[in-house]
Amino acid sequence: MPVEKGQSLWSDAWRRLKKNRLAMLCLGLVVLFTLLAVYGEIVYQYHHAKDITPSYQMTNLDVAYEAPSTRHWMGTDGLGRDVMARLVQGVRIAYKVGIITSLIAIPIGVILGCLAGFFGGRVDDFIVWLYSTFASMPGLLFILAIAMVVPDNGLLGVYLGIGLTTWVGLCRLVRGEVLKHKEQNYVQAAKALGIGSGRIMFKHILPNILHVVIVTFTLRFPAAVGTEVIMSYLGIGVQGEPSWGLMIDSARMRLWQGMWWEMTFVTLALFLLVLAFNLLGDALRDALDPRLND
Amino acid sequence: MENLLTVEKLNVVYGKGKDCVHAVKDVTFHIKPGEIFGLVGESGCGKSSLGKAIIRLNVPTSGSMVFKGDDVSLLSGRELKEYRQEVQMVFQDPYGSLYPRMKVGSAIMDVLEVHRIGENTSERHARVAELFEAVGLEPDWAWRYPHEFSGGQRQRICIARALALNPELLVADEPVSALDVSVQAEILELLEDLRTQRQLAFLFVSHDLAVVRNICDRVAVMYNGEIVEMGDVVDVIDNPQHEYTRTLLAAVPAF
Repeated sequence: MPVEKGQSLWSDAWRRLKKNRLAMLCLGLVVLFTLLAVYGEIVYQYHHAKDITPSYQMTNLDVAYEAPSTRHWMGTDGLGRDVMARLVQGVRIAYKVGIITSLIAIPIGVILGCLAGFFGGRVDDFIVWLYSTFASMPGLLFILAIAMVVPDNGLLGVYLGIGLTTWVGLCRLVRGEVLKHKEQNYVQAAKALGIGSGRIMFKHILPNILHVVIVTFTLRFPAAVGTEVIMSYLGIGVQGEPSWGLMIDSARMRLWQGMWWEMTFVTLALFLLVLAFNLLGDALRDALDPRLND
Repeated sequence: MENLLTVEKLNVVYGKGKDCVHAVKDVTFHIKPGEIFGLVGESGCGKSSLGKAIIRLNVPTSGSMVFKGDDVSLLSGRELKEYRQEVQMVFQDPYGSLYPRMKVGSAIMDVLEVHRIGENTSERHARVAELFEAVGLEPDWAWRYPHEFSGGQRQRICIARALALNPELLVADEPVSALDVSVQAEILELLEDLRTQRQLAFLFVSHDLAVVRNICDRVAVMYNGEIVEMGDVVDVIDNPQHEYTRTLLAAVPAF
């Protein structure tokens, strides 16, 4: 008789994740940040569609450098703009960077990793050579170089710079996993049954290594956000929009005069976002590893 | 009766140059329709390599394999896919050869889809149910995951999946050696039934002489990549000619 109905990997992982309080707290934070990003996008699109200047862009020097109060919970910056409203826009930009760079980097990493692992031989040699070359270049310099040559010197440069350079780690991981799975009987059986290479790779092997992709996403997301902040801070990232990097850049000038609020809240938000994603990624990695079965 | 498969001077070599391994050396034999042909030998003697060459998971280095009049040793692409409708394989390990994330019925549906068998989903569903019945399983069980089944049941599922393409030859690579003795008997009985009902021929790879004697019509003894003795199973096992066959038989307490 068949044994009792077992649980799938995902429901099993969810059950384990739920037990981890810290992970659930981080998940809550991630959800909160996501909602803020969606809200920020709605506000942005609304003003964009109506062609009016949103309040977070409106200069009002009368209220410049106001400390946090009930009117401006996080105070105002040097041009009298509400820090909280700008912070929320910063979440929007951080998310855009995290998601779009992932949409560039993850498919490259997964597809190249699958091809290298599955076909081996010269395909593998070429792809290993390619990622070794990418990996040998200093990361930030490489990103800056790409961002510099992109004509529209704004977000597009950030997306491409980060997206095109951060697939290497994932590619290596996926290649290793595919190499491992390729020799397993279920893949041999699928081959013997006349199922094509593409179908075996993407329908049979890929779902088995999807957890690697998900964990990589949660870990590379905050890294991409951090890189964007650095780029914007250095002046080759976002321009004209309230990115966290630009906010930190403008806040640092007045920090020594005691205007602590802008710097504090922006770095706190960045800190929380990065921490939440990283801890959640770690917890997910544990939860999705069947070998760590309670 | 005409041969279903004729293998002549088949060689399989892994690697190149000094480090190459000559797994199968100049092997010649044939299988008739509806025949169970045993292949015995110790581990590492090349019997699995030969089985994999016949299903074309390996490419033979030289020699010919003629299946129903066509040489299949160097097929590729579309022709290879067509060949695989006629020759299928059942693996030793029923735990590893089922895809863990797919319901077993979906895995069979997948095969049917790839080979465009059945007009639509409901026809394919019906075919899956039919196959499950053919191997002695409840058709409803098709919508469960592999880990919900026992070893013997999984091996039945693997057989059902291999039968999905209506093959004429089934390469069974140690199909019962991972199973309990009582379950072994049931699976062997199933294979016998399939032979009589479907005129299915088998290449039955095994190291278990008792099982081979029980089920096979003819048998070949492989040693070090070569076939050292071949003939009717009763002759070979009761009256072995080659030194190695005698050693092999002496190692089994029952004989």
